[in-house]
Amino acid sequence: MSAAPSLHLVSPAPAAKQAVPAVELAAVSVDYGGSVLAVADVALQLAEGEFLAIVGPSGCGKSTLLKIICGLERPSRGVVRLRGQPVERVPAEVGFMFQRDALLPWATVRENIAIGLECASAQKREPGVAIDELLELVGLSRFGGFYPRALSGGMRQRAALGRILAYAPDIYLMDEPFGALDAQTKLLMGQELLRIWARFGKAVVFVTHDIEEAVSLSDRVVVMSGRPGTIKSEYRIELPRPRLPREVRKIPNFHRYVDAIWNDIMSEPDRSHGISPDQTQV
Amino acid sequence: MSAIDRAAVSLDTVPADRAHSPTQHQTGAREQWQVALARVALALAAIALWEAASRWFADPFWIGRPSDIAQRLWQLTITNQLFWHVVPTVTQAAAGLALSIVVGVPIGLLFAYSRFVERVLEPFFLGLYSIPRIALAPLFILWFGIGPASKIIMAFSLVVFVVILNTYEGIRGVDRELIDMLRSMRASHGYILRKVLLPSIVPWIFASIRVGVGLALIGAVVGELLGANRGLGWYVENSASRVDVTGVFAGLVILMVVGMLLNEIVKFFEQRVMRNRY
Repeated sequence: MSAAPSLHLVSPAPAAKQAVPAVELAAVSVDYGGSVLAVADVALQLAEGEFLAIVGPSGCGKSTLLKIICGLERPSRGVVRLRGQPVERVPAEVGFMFQRDALLPWATVRENIAIGLECASAQKREPGVAIDELLELVGLSRFGGFYPRALSGGMRQRAALGRILAYAPDIYLMDEPFGALDAQTKLLMGQELLRIWARFGKAVVFVTHDIEEAVSLSDRVVVMSGRPGTIKSEYRIELPRPRLPREVRKIPNFHRYVDAIWNDIMSEPDRSHGISPDQTQV
Repeated sequence: MSAIDRAAVSLDTVPADRAHSPTQHQTGAREQWQVALARVALALAAIALWEAASRWFADPFWIGRPSDIAQRLWQLTITNQLFWHVVPTVTQAAAGLALSIVVGVPIGLLFAYSRFVERVLEPFFLGLYSIPRIALAPLFILWFGIGPASKIIMAFSLVVFVVILNTYEGIRGVDRELIDMLRSMRASHGYILRKVLLPSIVPWIFASIRVGVGLALIGAVVGELLGANRGLGWYVENSASRVDVTGVFAGLVILMVVGMLLNEIVKFFEQRVMRNRY
């Protein structure tokens, strides 16, 4: 790809920065018993306040990485540090957002968001924002009394976003949070997320298989290859902020990033799990 | 709010099909009427056939006669005997049912929580479950007397297994992601139990109650058949010993109506609790 040099391809092993990174993975491997590796030798750093996207074909271990950072799964080898501390149990700094909204079906939107507040205060942590403001923030003011069943997929994800904002972690781990939404809603949710991120300025790890989404949202994109999951390349996305996901797609450089990442993923030797070019929104 | 924000809010509003339809099976009113009408017709036809048979083909001494039974039911009602016999049977069944839930849910939780406990207790559980509990009735009467206690225990022994099994299945079917979600926010075990585990077994508890109502009635009636001085079971037994077939049938009709009413009550509460939530 001729445009590659201008795309600020980051070397796979970035030099350690002076400041303690928010998240640091060193030589992390995962196997699920047996010899097959799910994730092999991943090294990754996330700076405070950074928006990092991880893209790659399905089954490449993106979600596994998130669960490891969050302490829900343990790596077979390697170390995970949060602000310099090794991750043993679920750390207090992280909040996790799931692809499926994981809302409690028997609780109203308001009660679901309140769970974030309750969990935050159970840890004697300063809770984020008052619940009414959160409802406003995620555009659900009129729907606080609704049960999740009565809401559309987009609204449910908004409620889930409200819950994690209520929990107010320092590091947001988002596992394809908008992956199940239609294209329009996905764009709008990305827009909302950027608006809220700009306000709170917390670190985000955003896993997706939608390359355009990754480029439009993040400061840096990490490309993973599948089976075992390894980091293939990294791109620093130097597009101006604040970004509107629809506007940013009109910038020529945007498409050069997207193309370069496409090529990285397509050049995999085993493409049985790869993404084909006609599946931009899987 | 910017224009895009507002667009976002208006774009994904409540889907129309889910906004105002709490009931899933909204059949047309016309069809409902037809069904109701057909039911009444079928019931009347069956009763008429029975009445005719008892008048022209068979001796009502053996098969009873609907008009006699209706008369008896009326008498029982105006002499207040109906109330006198219904109350103990229903309260004993309800008490047995309630006891089954209070005892069965924690045991089911324990089974689901600990693989070790489950494996140790499984054969004992299956062993007890395999005993035809009806055969225990004489023992219960020996132990707990002919008062209400023996009937409550009888009902309990029939229903508690259903509650345990349903609770166990309910917990095993809990959405793991909901638990992971709370774990990722460092929620305590107690909080997860309160917010996820207990609410998610509510439909299973209701399923237990629906099955349990019938079983608990059986338990109470069996207890009364063997030893009591009032109650519907006692009334049926007493009538039979006096070769009063009309009395037996009257008791059975009351039991049937009571069972159906209790079922409707459970269904009513189930719909109130579950509506929109599950």
